[in-house]
Parts: sequence; structure tokens; C-alpha cells
Amino acid sequence: MRLSFDMQATPTQIAMSHDDQLIAGFAALAISIHLLESALPSPIPGIKPGLANLVTLYVLIRHGWALALNVSLIRVIAASLLLGSFLSPTFAMSLSGAIVSLGILWLAWHCPGKPFGPVGLAILAAMAHISAQVVTAYLLFIPHTSLFTLLPILLTGALISGTLGGILVSKIIERTDKLAST
Amino acid sequence: MNHSDIHTFFTTADKILFLLCFALIVFSYFHFWQSTAARYAIVKSPQQEPLFIELNDPGIHRIQGSLGISKLETKNGQIRFAASACKNKLCIQSGWHQHGGAVTACLPNRISVQLTGQDATPDYDAIIF
Repeated sequence: MRLSFDMQATPTQIAMSHDDQLIAGFAALAISIHLLESALPSPIPGIKPGLANLVTLYVLIRHGWALALNVSLIRVIAASLLLGSFLSPTFAMSLSGAIVSLGILWLAWHCPGKPFGPVGLAILAAMAHISAQVVTAYLLFIPHTSLFTLLPILLTGALISGTLGGILVSKIIERTDKLAST
Repeated sequence: MNHSDIHTFFTTADKILFLLCFALIVFSYFHFWQSTAARYAIVKSPQQEPLFIELNDPGIHRIQGSLGISKLETKNGQIRFAASACKNKLCIQSGWHQHGGAVTACLPNRISVQLTGQDATPDYDAIIF
């Protein structure tokens, strides 16, 4: 996020760029979705629809990598503050998942010829997210190999939620593009 | 959703990626859902320090429990209670154990046996959330 201070103005005024406004708006949306999602019951711990991450994906496709990074990290930190899980194990899992999935998205996004569509990007992000979380849990909290027994189920969940999420993002992009052109 | 919709949602790379992920998941079920062979047994009793027994060394270990002596027999990566000073002999009836993570015990004699994979010493005794 770019912050520049205008020394002439009183007292201090933060010049806000168009990108800053986009980041703020999308981060607010992602935080709201994150909070709503955390209230949803889950059949298996660790399986979530991952709707908050779809905001990141949308921002990546429509507004580029730098904005997606900002939105995702702001979302993880702000949502954890609101949920009271800041610096807790949940936060460590959430942050590691977000960082690794952003890394994978960066690689996929900068592939020559941009071969992946929203669905491919969403699948990559979801798989990377859950793998990073399991590895974090293993390294920090449950150093027992039987933890990896959960991995196949979680990866199955990630493939399904990634595919559906990617289709959802395609639809949303289709709609917003139509709105923008009218 | 009609047939042409699928093609608008999935690029060629997306389809290849989906199939690769699917293959990876199928592989992960085979890989992670096979129980690993154990190498060590951690034997705990109130009378002594935890004892690490190599399962591939055949032999009989005499462990002092609260009631008396329990004999643990190891052979070919397996372990069992061969004899115990308890009344019901449930520990002996549970037979041979060989999978990593398995736990057996003789409760009346207060002896527990935990099988571990490659690491003889776990990093933590217990983790509380």
C-alpha cells in the first residue's frame, strides 16, 4: 500500500490512490466473507469453501498481483484480530496457507502465455493452501506423521472447492465485465 | 450447464491441472493410508524410566509392573505380551502388534507399550491446546 504524507496540509493528510481504494474495498469484502465463513459449521475440521480466497483470486485476475497480495494479507491479519485469533495457532495456519498459496499464484500468474484460467488458478491456490496448513500443523503443533492421514481427504476437499470456486469467479468476472461495459 | 460451458470455464492447462491433481490425490490415498511398520516400542511402567525396545531384535524383555513381572516378546518387527502378572490376560490375548502408532497395555500391571515409526524419541511428551 502506498502512503505518502503531504507536509503542507494540516494536520497530516494521506494521499489515497485509486489502488488504495480498491485494496480497501476488496479487503473489507474479503474480511466480511472470512468472518461469515468462520461461523459456518464444517463436517470435517479443515474443510471450508474458501470463499474469502476467491476475493484474492478475483483481484489477481482483474487488478494484478500486487493488489491481490495486499488484499490477502490484510484479510488474514484483520480477520484474525476481529475473531480474536491473532498470533494463535489458527492464525499461524491461516497466514502460512495464504503466503504459500499467494506464492503458487505468483508462479502460475507469471507462467509464459498465462495458460491458467480462473479454475486452474483456484485449484492451485486451494491445493497449496491446504498443503501449507498441514505442513505448518505438523511442524508447529502436531509433530506426528499420522497427521498426514488427513491429507488425502483435505486435498480432495481442496480440489472440489477450488474447482467450484474457480467456476464461481469466472461467473463473477463475466458479470462484472458486463456491468463495466454498460 | 451445457457442454460448451465447460470449455469456457476450463482452459486446456486447467483441464491438465485438474487431472494431475486428481492423480495426485488418488496416489496420496494409497501413500498415506498405508500404515507404516514400526521400528521401536516405548515401554512405560511405574517402576522404571521409559524403555526403548528395538522391534527387530528378537528377545524377551522382563518388565516390572505394579503387580509383578510382564514379559514382552519381540520378533520380526512385532511385539506382544508373552506373559503378565495380571488376572484377565487381556494384554496377552491382544496378540502381536506391528503398526506404527499402535498402543497396547496391561492396565492392571500398569505397563503401556507404544509403537513408533522411525523416531525412537518423540520431540514432545504431550501437547495441550
